[in-house]
Amino acid sequence: MRKARLFVALSLILAALFTSIACGGTQPPKPAGKQGGIFINGQAGGDAETLNWILAADASSSGYASHTVDSLATFNNKLELQLRCLAKDVEISQDGLVYTVTIRDDLKWSNGSQVTAEDYVYTLGNLMFSDWMNYPYKSMWQEEVAGNKVFVTPQVVNATTFTITRQTANPDFVYSIYDLQPYPKYIATKYEGDVKTFTEAPEFNNLTYTGNLGPYRFKEWNRNDKYVVERNPDYYLGRPIGAPYFDQYVIKLFGSSATMQAALEAGDITHCGIEPEKVNKFMGLKNIDVYTVPTTGYTLLAYNQRANGWEGLKKQAIRQALSMSINKETVSQSILLGFGQPAFSFLSPNSPLYDDKSVVKYGVGPLYDKEKAAEILYQEGYGVKQENGTIKATNKDGGLLQLVLVTDQASQASQDIALQVRKELLALGIETRVKLVPWPTLLDQYVRNKVPGSVKEAGYNNGHDAVSAESWDMMLIGLTGGLLSPTSAEVVFTTEGGMNYFGYSNPEVDELFRRLKTKEALDKNMRQQLSSKLSLLLSQDQPFDFVVFQKANQGFQKNVVGIEPGISMWYNYYLWRFE
Amino acid sequence: MGKSWLRVYIIKRLIYAVIIALGILTITFVLVRVGPSSPADKYLANLAAKGQDIAQVTAAIEARYGLDKPIWQQYIDYIGNLLRGNLGWSFSTSMPVIDLIKTHWIYSFQLILLSSIFAAVLGILIGIYSAVKQYTKTDYVFTFLSFIGVSIPSFWLGVMLILVFSVKLGIFKSYYDTALPLFSLENLKALVLPVMTLGTGMLAGYVRYTRSSMLDNLRKGFITTARAKGLPERTVIGKHAFRNALLPLVTIIMFDLGSIVFGGAYLTEIVFGIPGLGQVSFNAIFAHDYPVVMSITLIGTFMVLFINMATDIAYTYLDPRIRYD
Repeated sequence: MRKARLFVALSLILAALFTSIACGGTQPPKPAGKQGGIFINGQAGGDAETLNWILAADASSSGYASHTVDSLATFNNKLELQLRCLAKDVEISQDGLVYTVTIRDDLKWSNGSQVTAEDYVYTLGNLMFSDWMNYPYKSMWQEEVAGNKVFVTPQVVNATTFTITRQTANPDFVYSIYDLQPYPKYIATKYEGDVKTFTEAPEFNNLTYTGNLGPYRFKEWNRNDKYVVERNPDYYLGRPIGAPYFDQYVIKLFGSSATMQAALEAGDITHCGIEPEKVNKFMGLKNIDVYTVPTTGYTLLAYNQRANGWEGLKKQAIRQALSMSINKETVSQSILLGFGQPAFSFLSPNSPLYDDKSVVKYGVGPLYDKEKAAEILYQEGYGVKQENGTIKATNKDGGLLQLVLVTDQASQASQDIALQVRKELLALGIETRVKLVPWPTLLDQYVRNKVPGSVKEAGYNNGHDAVSAESWDMMLIGLTGGLLSPTSAEVVFTTEGGMNYFGYSNPEVDELFRRLKTKEALDKNMRQQLSSKLSLLLSQDQPFDFVVFQKANQGFQKNVVGIEPGISMWYNYYLWRFE
Repeated sequence: MGKSWLRVYIIKRLIYAVIIALGILTITFVLVRVGPSSPADKYLANLAAKGQDIAQVTAAIEARYGLDKPIWQQYIDYIGNLLRGNLGWSFSTSMPVIDLIKTHWIYSFQLILLSSIFAAVLGILIGIYSAVKQYTKTDYVFTFLSFIGVSIPSFWLGVMLILVFSVKLGIFKSYYDTALPLFSLENLKALVLPVMTLGTGMLAGYVRYTRSSMLDNLRKGFITTARAKGLPERTVIGKHAFRNALLPLVTIIMFDLGSIVFGGAYLTEIVFGIPGLGQVSFNAIFAHDYPVVMSITLIGTFMVLFINMATDIAYTYLDPRIRYD
């Protein structure tokens, strides 16, 4: 009996001991890293336009502001959802029409007041949806109902919960919600209704309201030079572990990538992108780590299917034949020096919706076949058989087939790929004239189109009969591929799409995009099926040749730790630190 | 009352300057608006990635900045604001244009000023030395180096200087740090490479011009007379030959100053990451930031007109025979 009592007592002591250890989680864990230092991120692109991000259409402005204000959620390298200002994932009603958003209750503005659902609803209803502001991305929050574009309806439920109600289902809509950042109602009401005063509002232009919403706080922005933010010790995600660790995070702008990379080599900056031809050199430097990561950017060869393009390009078989004669491995390996991956779809191979079996792989393996390509051209009436039995591509009348390939003169990679395309097509007997033009000219003379004689201004897709000012047949250009939201490509591939400047039209494609924005696509399997079908159809139809997905090379000083290389490597940058 | 004609001349030139500036402004205004693109073009990639309709965004942005109004209406609005001293709002940097210029002019000014002093002082001294020591080994070396200096593109020189002095030797920082106090040794040190980059071409040119101009004068009769009078060689060269050689040099130096103000410093600013007016104007042109483009054109026009006027006035002091009646 005494033994039993002793056993119980010992058990209780042990249980208490284990419980106390287990409850250690309630104590803030020790900081995981050393605080201090200045992280200098070199960038060779342009500066942001404004810190009043709601007014901006450029990517940099939102990027600058996002160091100080988190979105509702983001994604990691595996594209798994990472909650930020959300307390839990967005709840979607069975019919896909009501989205319930619950934010954390520990989010604060700089004046100490709580960030509430009211702020989010105000940001949507009174700012983004207003007539006076002209919010550039308003169509992300609109749906088509009975032929009219209408806004969704946001509504406050309680201090931390709000709903957004749609009239039509759209499974991709949730990604717009994840990206949402709030404006403080208590400040914004002062400027509401007057775009001029709102644009010039000092609180928004100096990000003085951001409280504990981001890992950093605004310190300084010297235009065309640098953007400086400093450590936010109150950051809601970092408080338990002492993150972020850098005292300052600086975006330093450079006018050229050569000088930026020299600065990295000299140790004057902490990070910058590395061009493919410099990667080997930087990999050999003892103070630098280079990470090669996938991107969603891809290069494409658009085929002009409008009236001022070669008539053959309107035929699917001809487009397939041309794509079949351009070797994507050569482009990836020889031109991009291995930092590219053959592309077969608008969906990135990193997208969970991408199905490698549901694409036709023109330009690699058995579908890189010039003989077959020549045979197709011949069958379609665009070739003659020569005495040695080979086929030479020609015009319908047997004359020399000449095509115009236009691209941006500022991109060396595009120029090199254009010359490779020229070489490949020359082997078929097609003479390609490569036109290198400045970007504004490319847009104005080759991309924008209008119906001849019409008074309507030229646009990116002015209908079936519209043509560009200059004739062209092929265009090398870059686009961003889809990762999680396939319908973002709708503007490019649908008949009425605002970016369909090359005149592609396939009712089946239009229908698939439409179905992806309906209730049936709420079902994950159906969404996957529809995406795969769309991917297959486009890879068969070849509205343009998907050439390569680019990889990016990111160079860091070796003493930076905590980096997780991948497609979304900055998702946890608030945990990065110096050794 | 000595030079009352000069006052009249200055007033006349100022009136001309206003008329010329208005003409240039009008031409620039029309050119930037009839150019082949819209301010929204630069968003194309971002909009396409987000699945946005660029036509809708273009309309929204143009409406926000009043660019959807008829061009004559925009012109009247612009001139009206200008007369009230309002240079407008820079929509590519989100700040008043006047503040943007106030922030950035100093970076260009210090670079241009130091480069000009470096080039003029060294260039003139070497040029005089070369002329006086004509056909000596030193003259040949300076002549050879000055030809190289004239031929080197400034952006190439800048990158080479960075690679040698920053990357390899670690003596200078590879880019200009705007955080440094303006009047400090650190700032002066940070400007060494940019000044060498911008100044080398000018310096080499001044060596050639000074040498040539000095040789021209050294062969003239009044120099022989001066020497025959027994004047010390330093006075002959410094007072008689150099003063006469200075007139064409002033024209060239002032012309150079005008051209670098108007954009010659841009490449150096790009290479060293100096956020001066060259960079500001270049970025504004690409961003279709019309208020900034117009204001910098206006400032550039006035500066060139002012430099020309200053040159003309300088002539009257260097050569008292010159009058602008």
